[in-house]
Amino acid sequence: MKPTSTPELDAAWTRLRTVIDPEIGMNIVDLGLVYSVELKEGALDIAITLTTRGCPMHDVIIEGCRRALDGIPNVRESRVEVVWDPPWNPEMMSAEAKRQLGR
Amino acid sequence: MRFVLFGLACLASCAIWLNFEPAILTAHHYRPHTVAWVHLLVLGFILSVVAGALYQIAPVAMETKLHSPRLAELHFVAHALGVLLIVPFFMLWDFKQVGHAGSLVFLGMLVFVGNIARTLNRAPRPDVVGAFIASALLWLFLAMGAGLTVATNKFWPILPGVPLHWTYAHAHLGVAGVFVNLTAGVSLRLVPMFSLSEIQNPTRAWWSFAFVNLGVAGLFWSIASGYAPAQLASGGAMVMGLAIYGVELGAILAARKRRRLDWGLRQFLAAVATLAPAVVAGMALAGAVALRPSAVPRWQTAYPALALLGVIVPAILGMLQKILSFLVWQRIYAPRIGRERIPALAELLSEPLQIAGFWSYLAAVAGLAAAAFAGSTWLAHVAAVLWLAAIVLFLINAGFILSHWFFPRVTRSSSP
Repeated sequence: MKPTSTPELDAAWTRLRTVIDPEIGMNIVDLGLVYSVELKEGALDIAITLTTRGCPMHDVIIEGCRRALDGIPNVRESRVEVVWDPPWNPEMMSAEAKRQLGR
Repeated sequence: MRFVLFGLACLASCAIWLNFEPAILTAHHYRPHTVAWVHLLVLGFILSVVAGALYQIAPVAMETKLHSPRLAELHFVAHALGVLLIVPFFMLWDFKQVGHAGSLVFLGMLVFVGNIARTLNRAPRPDVVGAFIASALLWLFLAMGAGLTVATNKFWPILPGVPLHWTYAHAHLGVAGVFVNLTAGVSLRLVPMFSLSEIQNPTRAWWSFAFVNLGVAGLFWSIASGYAPAQLASGGAMVMGLAIYGVELGAILAARKRRRLDWGLRQFLAAVATLAPAVVAGMALAGAVALRPSAVPRWQTAYPALALLGVIVPAILGMLQKILSFLVWQRIYAPRIGRERIPALAELLSEPLQIAGFWSYLAAVAGLAAAAFAGSTWLAHVAAVLWLAAIVLFLINAGFILSHWFFPRVTRSSSP
């Protein structure tokens, strides 16, 4: 998922690991919920998904992403968008996340 | 949250009371203390927690906002006062005052039904979950109206037929109409949410809804009129609806993306499975020809005991472990996500206590049901102690969850 690396993008991915899905207890990067992080003219565009539609943590996770990305040097704003295509599936998780979910 | 705390206080009172008076399970059910105890459990614990949870969950389940938090506060005052008055009046067998206290609960319930109905009306996508919840609200309205009418009938006879039949019909409307609809509806939204799955066949869920509610309506009429063949037919419709619901729930679980289920969900599913013996007991009573006449009164006590203590109470306790954690987490940790290292929902409570609570509750239900069926006082004593222990374990865990409200466990994230 990670394209070319820049200090801003590295910082974004690292910070997104501090955002957890509280129901699963795992950060959204290892869960495979972060589809893309792009830097365009000083702004970060983040595409994430959620494990299920109607997830009660929808707003909390989006707000958490914004908060985590706040204050990255050379980034003036971050835009977080929730996408449903492709739908999330457990194969998108890291090996550690799969182990925790008993897969 | 205050509904939930009030409900838990009522549940603890029920558990302590049963230890002092196990005859509640073994004596004939139509006696002042048993009726008072049942109302403390049903109105004090079950309805309070259901109301508190629905105020939080209905907006989440229907993806909208609660119509009026202020009306919910008014509901709480009327409900708590009504429950605190109705229980002693049942103990005194003073039906005039029971009617007055019941009117307070009824008033609160009207506010509740109106508030949730307006909330459901805002839902962007009405679905089978909303239909189950709306149906539960309708039966709640009718069950409480029927209860008040039964109380009024004591000093101003207005009901035709046998008064005790109307009492049974009222109880079925409450248990089968309200709580089965609620359990089915809420679980069709929350089980997929907690197990990372989704409804597998909406048409099947709608058939379940139709059969369950056909059964509820038929049971009310046939029990009130005492017409046994219609009781069996209505019970059959109910069984069909529950069987279809069970198939859908099984399909949801089979398709889940999260293999390991947590203990709160397991307790809920165990409670749903206990519906099977409860329904068998109910059907045996409906076709009482299969029972010895001397055994009928004990089955009449054991059947609701199994439905209440084996199905509804543990289903609520199982879901409450999830809901309480969710509410506290949402309030305390949601504003800190992304900024501080915060605990996950599962870390708010103790899993060993959940496991101990799960098994002790299961053993307690087996004991309570056996004591009620056999009319055994010593078994009722032992099972009541076990039940109290299971509830204390739950309350300790609830205390752990609530402690996060006052003492959040956070550490600063080490972001670059």
